[in-house]
Amino acid sequence: MNIPIKTWHFHGGVHPADGKALSNSVPAQRAPLLDRYTVAIQQNIGAPPKPVVAKGDAVKKGQLIAEPGGFVSAPVHAPTSGTVGDIVEVPGANGGAIQAIEIISDGKDEWGSGLDPIPNWKNTDREILKKRIAEAGIVGMGGAAFPTHVKLSPPPEKVIDTLILNGAECEPYLTADHRLMLERTEAVLEGAAIAAKILRVDRVFLGIEENKPDAIAALNEKAGQYGVTVVPLHVRYPQGGEKQLIYALTGRSVATGGLPMDVGCVVQNVGSCAAIRDAVVEGHPLIERYTTVTGTPVANPGTWILRLGTTVEQALTFAGGVKTRAAKVIMGGPMMGFAQTSLGVTITKNSSGVLLLQWKETAEYSSNPCIRCGRCVRACPMKLLPGPVSVMVESENYDEAEKNYVMDCMECGVCTYVCPAKRPLVQHFRRAKAEINAKRRAAKAKQA
Amino acid sequence: MDTNEILVLTVGAILVNNVVLSRILGICPFLGVSKRIETALGMSGAVIFVMTLASFVTALFNNFLVTKTFTINGQTVSLSFTRILLFIVVIAALVQIVEILLKKFSPSLYVSLGIYLPLITTNCAVLGAAELNADACRGLISSTVFGFSTGVGFSLALLLFASIRERLAIARIPKAMEGTAIALVTAGILAMAFMGFSGLVK
Amino acid sequence: MLITILVSAGVVAAVGLFLGALIGFTAKKFEVQTDPKIEAVQELLPGANCGGCGYAGCADFASAIVTKDADPSGCSACSDAMLAKIAEVTGKAAGKKEKMTAVVFCSGSFSRSERAADYNGILDCRSASIVAGGGGKACRFGCLGYGSCARACPFGAIEIRDGLAVVHPELCRACGKCVNVCPRKLIRLVPASAQVHVYCNSLEKPAKRRKLCKIPCLACKKCIRADESHMQMQGGLVRVNYSNPPEPAFVEQVKCPTGALQVEEIHRKLEAFKPAAPAPKAAPAPKKEESK
Repeated sequence: MNIPIKTWHFHGGVHPADGKALSNSVPAQRAPLLDRYTVAIQQNIGAPPKPVVAKGDAVKKGQLIAEPGGFVSAPVHAPTSGTVGDIVEVPGANGGAIQAIEIISDGKDEWGSGLDPIPNWKNTDREILKKRIAEAGIVGMGGAAFPTHVKLSPPPEKVIDTLILNGAECEPYLTADHRLMLERTEAVLEGAAIAAKILRVDRVFLGIEENKPDAIAALNEKAGQYGVTVVPLHVRYPQGGEKQLIYALTGRSVATGGLPMDVGCVVQNVGSCAAIRDAVVEGHPLIERYTTVTGTPVANPGTWILRLGTTVEQALTFAGGVKTRAAKVIMGGPMMGFAQTSLGVTITKNSSGVLLLQWKETAEYSSNPCIRCGRCVRACPMKLLPGPVSVMVESENYDEAEKNYVMDCMECGVCTYVCPAKRPLVQHFRRAKAEINAKRRAAKAKQA
Repeated sequence: MDTNEILVLTVGAILVNNVVLSRILGICPFLGVSKRIETALGMSGAVIFVMTLASFVTALFNNFLVTKTFTINGQTVSLSFTRILLFIVVIAALVQIVEILLKKFSPSLYVSLGIYLPLITTNCAVLGAAELNADACRGLISSTVFGFSTGVGFSLALLLFASIRERLAIARIPKAMEGTAIALVTAGILAMAFMGFSGLVK
Repeated sequence: MLITILVSAGVVAAVGLFLGALIGFTAKKFEVQTDPKIEAVQELLPGANCGGCGYAGCADFASAIVTKDADPSGCSACSDAMLAKIAEVTGKAAGKKEKMTAVVFCSGSFSRSERAADYNGILDCRSASIVAGGGGKACRFGCLGYGSCARACPFGAIEIRDGLAVVHPELCRACGKCVNVCPRKLIRLVPASAQVHVYCNSLEKPAKRRKLCKIPCLACKKCIRADESHMQMQGGLVRVNYSNPPEPAFVEQVKCPTGALQVEEIHRKLEAFKPAAPAPKAAPAPKKEESK
């Protein structure tokens, strides 16, 4: 359906040079089978899962190797058939080291998830479908890694009337969701329909930026059959931020410290939708994902279907290796991604991209004072005051920063991008958030 | 008094002839207590109170003692030369009483104002307001209104300056200009800004 | 003329007397009782408001000493002489306390440690530790070297030398501000009498540690084997036993293979480390016996 839908423009935002042309016209390729995968145990927000296999155990592809550690948790499955190795430490994308389970491949790649396909999901109970999503280890694949079954179980007092699918992919350079929507159109739409059935909503919007006309056309062909309305959106970063997306599609604003369910919406990434469909219809848990491996230093930038536990080094080898000297290796996009210090970082459920940047493409931050030009204020999508708040953080006045809503900062990076003094604004806010959270924890501990 | 007279008195004292920024009186507490807005607020309250009361009492003394001439044993005695002396004594006593009351009823404000409380005594602004009243031969009510307005004008200048200084404290200022130097430059610019009000009241 | 002088003097004197009486009356009526001892004690305290005593500042602590019987030795910045003077004022004996000092348990200066990446951001340890790469040094347990502890110290006792924080024990008053600030929890307060420390905080696999730093503790436990009363394992780290610390001669005797076990004075200078000489081979022994 392509009924003209009224959309709203969110405040601020920026339109950086796209970089998507490097990889958006190349079809996604499936990565060859590797000898060894190091699957991170915690790939979700919430309680860490617990391993249920020991060294030497034989596993099949899709078999459970770590069970959930609580309700807000997600299990982890073997990306291929083979033997379980050691529990090793691998570098984490957020810094530090994380535990991972080593799976040594036997080359046979045989399925054995123990989950039966449910082709007739339209007549299946919602609770069974939700349980299947939980068992399949599906989390928010757009980056947040929040367990999907929890998102699809809002408390009864929150009445949900809209399901929003996030196909915006506003980060420059990333094209994974684009290729997914183009090549697995029906999978995405079917997954959305399943989610809509679980939530019992009739209104389903798929928000997608206008710079993906081929994907919009492909989606429009089939969307009607699944009850989804495709809404092309203004191209502006961060259009894909959930609060910005909700505002653009419904005109509703989420209050400070609030969640989408407070305004009757649930937002799901299109990758999560495809994963929902695979889990329900095929009985396949989440073991691989579409990831963009791109950047001018990469020989053959493109989109790859990578299994969880692939290292970044291996992913770069698939993409033809590095042809020019790279200054930064980023997990994610250039605006919100994290620069890495090791190529041993593994692909997890929310690894949307591996981006390499040359020196001339990176920004260099300084300790210059704020010149009070106001560009950051005009650009902030959450309507905060980045410049003044960063000055408060510099003088360690975290109470003042808290009063100025620094906890609502979504760390999108637009303020840092536009700052003419090249101040590292997002780092200031992350520091403020860490200090405020530490203070709140200490206050809670004192009360207890 | 009609509205016009009141307006001339108040607007004149608060904006046009601001005691700190136009008459350049009371600079000591202006520079000393303006580092934080909370202390500035406390000081403003104290100054308005003292100025209003002092203006009233000194006007009393002025109108009924100093300007009167007595005839004793056939000789005319005028006490006009004792004006400043009496004013100083009255203002000093008033500030002492305010200090005692403040220590009892608001110890935190007493501690944060510290040395600046007795400085209101030697503060030329309070004596200045009293003298201006005496020079203009104002009645009791006009004097009180003038005293109150002068206090409000002082508070306005003090609060504006305190807000600016809080921002200056966390800004990057060249080492040589830090502290009082940049404060004085700012005060000068603020005084220039207030010159814009001249001509409001003829 | 005389009349004028007399009348004016009389009037001013009368006004003065009246106002004086008014002030006296107000002072008496609204008197606030203060204990002069609190002010006296406050004068004797260092006045740094470092918070090491656990109170809001020196004024608060002084009032607690006089009214709530707080122990003056809680002020880690006070010398014994100052404590004795406070005891004189309050009339209560001051407790004994051991002089403590802060130690930064890391040897990884820029020239001694490997760098994983170039860091470009806020030059503050707490801010750098939030970034994924964590400040640039390869070892994720070591000193970041951007000086948050040095800036937090009210007494200027911490110096950043070649990217490593080093405490000057003669200036340190053990107030604990640096301990709270370090994001890697590298700093601890230990008795000042201990002069030997194991300057490493790494919980990495020992085999990996050599790749990250030139002076790591390899957890070979040579020092523990040499004398178990002086050295011990604490939570995976080799540490000096601070209830029975060794003398500087112990370091010579043990010959730590990397130099992580070091005397404080030598560590502070950050001289080029000298790894222990390899153990002499057994070959010469038979010849000696023969010559006998």
